[in-house]
Amino acid sequence: MLIWFLPLFLFLLLVGLPVFFCLLAAPGALLWLNGQERDITLLYRNLYNGMDSFPLMAIPFFMLAGELMNRGGITVRLVEFSQALMGHLRGGLAQVNILSSILFAGLSGSAVADTSALGSMLIPAMEREGYTRKFAAAVTAASSVIGPIIPPSGIMIIYAYVMGESVAALFLAGIVPGILVGVGLMVMVRVMADKYDLPAARRVTFENVEIGGLESWVSFGLVRLNLGLLLVQFAPAADTTLSKWLTFLGAVLLAHGLMLGLRRVVSPEFRIVCKRAVVPLQTPILILGGILAGVFTPTEAAAVAVAYALLVGFLVLRTMKLKDLPEVFTRAGITSAVVLLLVGAAMSFKTVVSLSHAPEILAEFILTLSENPLILLFLINLLLFVVGMFLDAGPAIIILGPILAPVFEGLGVESVHFAIIMCVNLTVGLATPPMGLVLFVAASVSHERVTTIAKAILPFLAVEVAVIFLITFVPEISLTIPKLTGFLN
Amino acid sequence: MKAVFAVLNLLRPLNSGLLAVGRWLGVFAIGVMVAAILIQVFFRYVLGSALPWPDEAARFFMLWMTGLMAPTAFRNGGFVAIDFIDAVIKGKAMHLLQFALLLISLTVLIVGAQIGYKEVTGLGGRFATASLYLPTSLTFDEWYRIPRSWMMLSLLVGIVLLILVNIELLLERFVRLLGMGDRLPARSGLTIGGSE
Repeated sequence: MLIWFLPLFLFLLLVGLPVFFCLLAAPGALLWLNGQERDITLLYRNLYNGMDSFPLMAIPFFMLAGELMNRGGITVRLVEFSQALMGHLRGGLAQVNILSSILFAGLSGSAVADTSALGSMLIPAMEREGYTRKFAAAVTAASSVIGPIIPPSGIMIIYAYVMGESVAALFLAGIVPGILVGVGLMVMVRVMADKYDLPAARRVTFENVEIGGLESWVSFGLVRLNLGLLLVQFAPAADTTLSKWLTFLGAVLLAHGLMLGLRRVVSPEFRIVCKRAVVPLQTPILILGGILAGVFTPTEAAAVAVAYALLVGFLVLRTMKLKDLPEVFTRAGITSAVVLLLVGAAMSFKTVVSLSHAPEILAEFILTLSENPLILLFLINLLLFVVGMFLDAGPAIIILGPILAPVFEGLGVESVHFAIIMCVNLTVGLATPPMGLVLFVAASVSHERVTTIAKAILPFLAVEVAVIFLITFVPEISLTIPKLTGFLN
Repeated sequence: MKAVFAVLNLLRPLNSGLLAVGRWLGVFAIGVMVAAILIQVFFRYVLGSALPWPDEAARFFMLWMTGLMAPTAFRNGGFVAIDFIDAVIKGKAMHLLQFALLLISLTVLIVGAQIGYKEVTGLGGRFATASLYLPTSLTFDEWYRIPRSWMMLSLLVGIVLLILVNIELLLERFVRLLGMGDRLPARSGLTIGGSE
């Protein structure tokens, strides 16, 4: 009897009831009809307990850090940096768009923020260079899905919490798939550049770019510090504290020497553009470095990212004012509140999923289709892709995670691998018609019709689908980094 | 119909005021959350001695932030839903469907509020939090241990605010259903994003 909550849930979802209410109404109604009124109280308790979680706090913090960084004007710096690196290639601005998305992904983890921030800047610029508007909007929307794949990622925090996985392991597992999506899109742009005669490439120079004194020194220090820390990893192990410090000092001096060598081969303008990108790009280093070194938990890393964004915005870049804060905090708070309520409702839903034995019933059904996990993974990818066309990634993970993950873990699929398949597939769904959220944002930013962008994005979606199948059938793509860093056995 | 507009005219400014206060308190709550976790990071990693209260205090304020800010999202259409049915059904049928959906959400919220009240005033709410205290004297020598009910109240308050918003949306939909939507004053909205 209780298993009927799933069709009821789907019905309510399809007729347009908000997901939060669907997650509570369908199981609640069936529990009531089943005479299990006491378990309705359990739904409420799990809703509350589901939200009362320390790891979940990373969601508002990462959202706030992303909002602060965006408001602080880092988007311009990332685009300038990408332009300096890739602007000279054929299809240059399209490549810049994709590289900017990869870099932006390390700061915000939101496809919507990526489309909105980069699109409003790059789509008009691409049009001026001779690209069609639909192409510019399609590249922006397609590359923005990298945002929630490369850490930090809101949907991975949600998945980790709902399914009891390690946030750090998921973050690390998302790095290579995210870069792979970006590289795949760049290759597609290169192919299209020849076929459709995209605008000729030209090296973009920034003659009027300046950098403040404090920012210049901060960038100077950060580059040498990061490079020094990297070089220290290759040095022989030191025994005493003094020898450790001396090794580190030597590594920093070596890093300084390397930078002086580099200074001779690049133009002063290029150097300034790179220096201006150092402070924003320190955010992912701070987050991942802190987590990997065991200094912070992901939640603490997120809070540190907020503090860093505030410091950068107010003291280094001086692009933020106190009066900006209430609006930034309000936006981050409201968005987080909706997500937290959804996650709480998901925990209630998960309880009824367990009570109804839905995963066992579904597993029996799935095994009648095939017993080969590879074929089943192929089929599940198709299902997720269709779901992604209609539902945003976060709610889809909340709904399908508790049902599907136990089935595939039972079939021997590594839980982190399945999490990445699900997260990447549903994230790509953000850019698929008819309900892809980033398509609507791209349409709003570019003033192009959604249907026109939906057609123009198809070649890029083909690349993303290919990457999904690649990471599905080659688990090492996602699992190598978590294994190498000891976050996965 | 006059009664519906009278209730709406009362409810709209009431909700606007309550939600505005909620948003400001929510902003304050986020600030405290960030500060509490940064204090913990400093004490744990710099001074080598973790404090007992910051983690629980941050959760306390996160729950209140959620309860106080989610109703604003609901009022501005920020609750995620599949809305392609809007493209299929038009006119009165669409208004009728939306009205029915709002009735379902109102039912969920009312049941939630009833259970929430029992939970807050029941046994679970009487337990104390693990590490949260409030000073009850100016000399800071007397402290009151905060009960869990103060934390649990956040969800109940959130549900009550959601009920008020739901009633407002329901009445507005009723007015539209009767073809008098043009008599409803416009409401300024906020842009709400998602976890994506």
